[in-house]
Amino acid sequence: MSLFVAAFGFGLVSMSVIAIAAVGFTMQFGITNMINLAYGEVMISSAYVAYYLNKAGISIWIGMVVGALFGAAFSFLLNRIVYAPFQRKGTSYLGMVIVSLAISLMMANLLLPIVGYYSVSYQEGTGGLIRLGAIILTTNQILIIGIAVVVMLLIHGLLKYTRLGKAMRATSANPTLARNCGIPTQRVVDAVWLITGALCGLAGVVAALNSDSFAIANGAAFLITILAAAVLGGAGQPYGAMIGAVLIGLITELSAAAWSPEYKEVVAFGVLVLVMVLRPQGLLAKRGAMAAAG
Amino acid sequence: MRGFERYKVVSAVGALVLFVACGGGSSSSGSGLGSGALLVGVIAPFTGVDAALGPAYYAACLAAAPSINNNGGVGGRQVSCQQFDTRGEPADAVPAANQMIASNSNLMAVVGCTSDEAATVAPIINRAHIPMFCMTGQTEFNKTTLPYFHRLVPADIFDAYAMVGSALYGPGHAPYKRAALVFGNDIGSQAFVAPATNAFTKLGGTIVINQPITLGAASYRTEVAAMLLTKPDVILTEALGSAGTYLKEVKTQNGGQMIPFIGTSATIDPTWFQQVRDAIGVADLTKYYGGVDLGYSFSGPAYTEFQTNLNAAASTFADAPKYKQRGSTLHLYDGIIMTALAMVATNSADPTVYNPKIKDIANGTSGATVVNTYKDGVAAIKAGKSIRFVGAGGENTFDQYNNSQSGYIWVTYDNQGNEVKVGQMTPQQTQDISAAGGI
Repeated sequence: MSLFVAAFGFGLVSMSVIAIAAVGFTMQFGITNMINLAYGEVMISSAYVAYYLNKAGISIWIGMVVGALFGAAFSFLLNRIVYAPFQRKGTSYLGMVIVSLAISLMMANLLLPIVGYYSVSYQEGTGGLIRLGAIILTTNQILIIGIAVVVMLLIHGLLKYTRLGKAMRATSANPTLARNCGIPTQRVVDAVWLITGALCGLAGVVAALNSDSFAIANGAAFLITILAAAVLGGAGQPYGAMIGAVLIGLITELSAAAWSPEYKEVVAFGVLVLVMVLRPQGLLAKRGAMAAAG
Repeated sequence: MRGFERYKVVSAVGALVLFVACGGGSSSSGSGLGSGALLVGVIAPFTGVDAALGPAYYAACLAAAPSINNNGGVGGRQVSCQQFDTRGEPADAVPAANQMIASNSNLMAVVGCTSDEAATVAPIINRAHIPMFCMTGQTEFNKTTLPYFHRLVPADIFDAYAMVGSALYGPGHAPYKRAALVFGNDIGSQAFVAPATNAFTKLGGTIVINQPITLGAASYRTEVAAMLLTKPDVILTEALGSAGTYLKEVKTQNGGQMIPFIGTSATIDPTWFQQVRDAIGVADLTKYYGGVDLGYSFSGPAYTEFQTNLNAAASTFADAPKYKQRGSTLHLYDGIIMTALAMVATNSADPTVYNPKIKDIANGTSGATVVNTYKDGVAAIKAGKSIRFVGAGGENTFDQYNNSQSGYIWVTYDNQGNEVKVGQMTPQQTQDISAAGGI
């Protein structure tokens, strides 16, 4: 029983990491119509930016901020230089997915000779152990959960209470109508790439810190989990991605406690398949902040 | 994108993600050595979770090529090396092998082919009649019928037995009685589980948990918590690419205290050392780690030339010098040199002619002259002598299935990541473990 309680605690950490990444990914899709399969590589690139800063003696917490800034700038440029021109030419949705897949592969292969094929670790202590009954978490893990909570609240506040958030929702629902209503949709899209890019970069550093040791190959692994959470919650739905992250994070850890750990991802993806069969649009489609009106 | 079409694309991408996730003597019998460059194909994982394996093999080729090229080449033909990435996946390895063969008519040998892909690529390479030296310990190759297959390392079962020997008879500790098996859920790593379990339990030990872990996972917190609940004395492990993440979690959840851990010969690797050192600290690594490896002298003329060339290869591949004590790098270096010598000895660039000669040059025939370098080998062949090549990795003795066996030692690391021998099994201990393991 204590193992299940401990696994629940670990699940809280996993879901926090997944949530930060999945919300950014699904907002990108929901507002810009772009399934960005290079998301995982941008995450791992940001993790390496923080790694090199950390290696130079800079605190990982500062590195985390720089990683987020790198993710924002890189994502913004990626859209402006690569994705947007293709979209303006009317490239099909599936074509855009292939373009992003190509970018992902190019990034992975360009990064390999730069960062190497070996695993690296941040030179940062895990902090002390905190015991809450059978739940054992390190200070860093508590901080990761705290960061995720703050980020989720900020995203909620942005979407619900700010002009930019309302413009994002309008652009997501109907960009043509939004433009005709005077919303500067191009600037909204730019803001979305900056914000979601920052989430992507932050998620990369948090995920790498959470893993203790990471390598270039982790980029693709990150993407699979993020996509699962986003699809499970309802593609394009930030609140859905949060729920998806909770489910994927908890299911993987609890199933590892209940059965052989080699099946933990099988169980998580099994739940995803089940949801896709019963509710193809995802758990929160048409109810989230990004949902189309009506 | 709106409505149903949008969901179709998302569903398609989701389905794609699910799919990925689940997801001798001089016998101048040939017709000449020909002309033009020769190629050694290095087919191995260079990306993916086992990406640390390929560079060790590529380094072997980069060291062997100048040994040959600086001494007249193979009948004047220069040898070069090329990587063919399998990503550690059979599905990617098959097109890589086909492309390697179809695009290069000058292949003299192929090295690499780890347990990740050997079962799929070895038959392809064999059909193309290219001699190969594979770094796989899979039991299915113990009695292989592929004549072009060569293996310079023992099967994984012997690696597993050496680990069990280290746990039960190793120096500096009382016999470990409760072992946790933590191996990656890939084909290569899982090959150690059954022989280790058989040998350890029949000799009085208990496997408290057998934990196959998914390589490349973001974390192993629940796995480590479950493992620690079984209170093992020692962890037997091979989880390449994930060792740092797992072992760091062990230290964290165990209150900063490591548990002794014994790794396979694949853990004698500079990238593994770096990963684990960075994760748990060099002091804990050198204190709690035990490994097994084939007994190498790391000295003598063959090793000296190997190391010189390896250092020089840094201009092509910066990490090459790191592999100076990597067993597979030494063995594959020897395999390439032996192949070149076989070509010279048979005066043929036809693999069907020189392939059988590789075994003669490795094992030696009666009265053979022992040579340690390509230069000395060519000179002896030209003098009409039969030769036996004893290279950087030591002697090789191929059996009828082209498997070469040699004995294991117990090792650890020093602070700089150099291998340090700490002991070896006695013949009686070896016999006991082999009998218990079923061999």
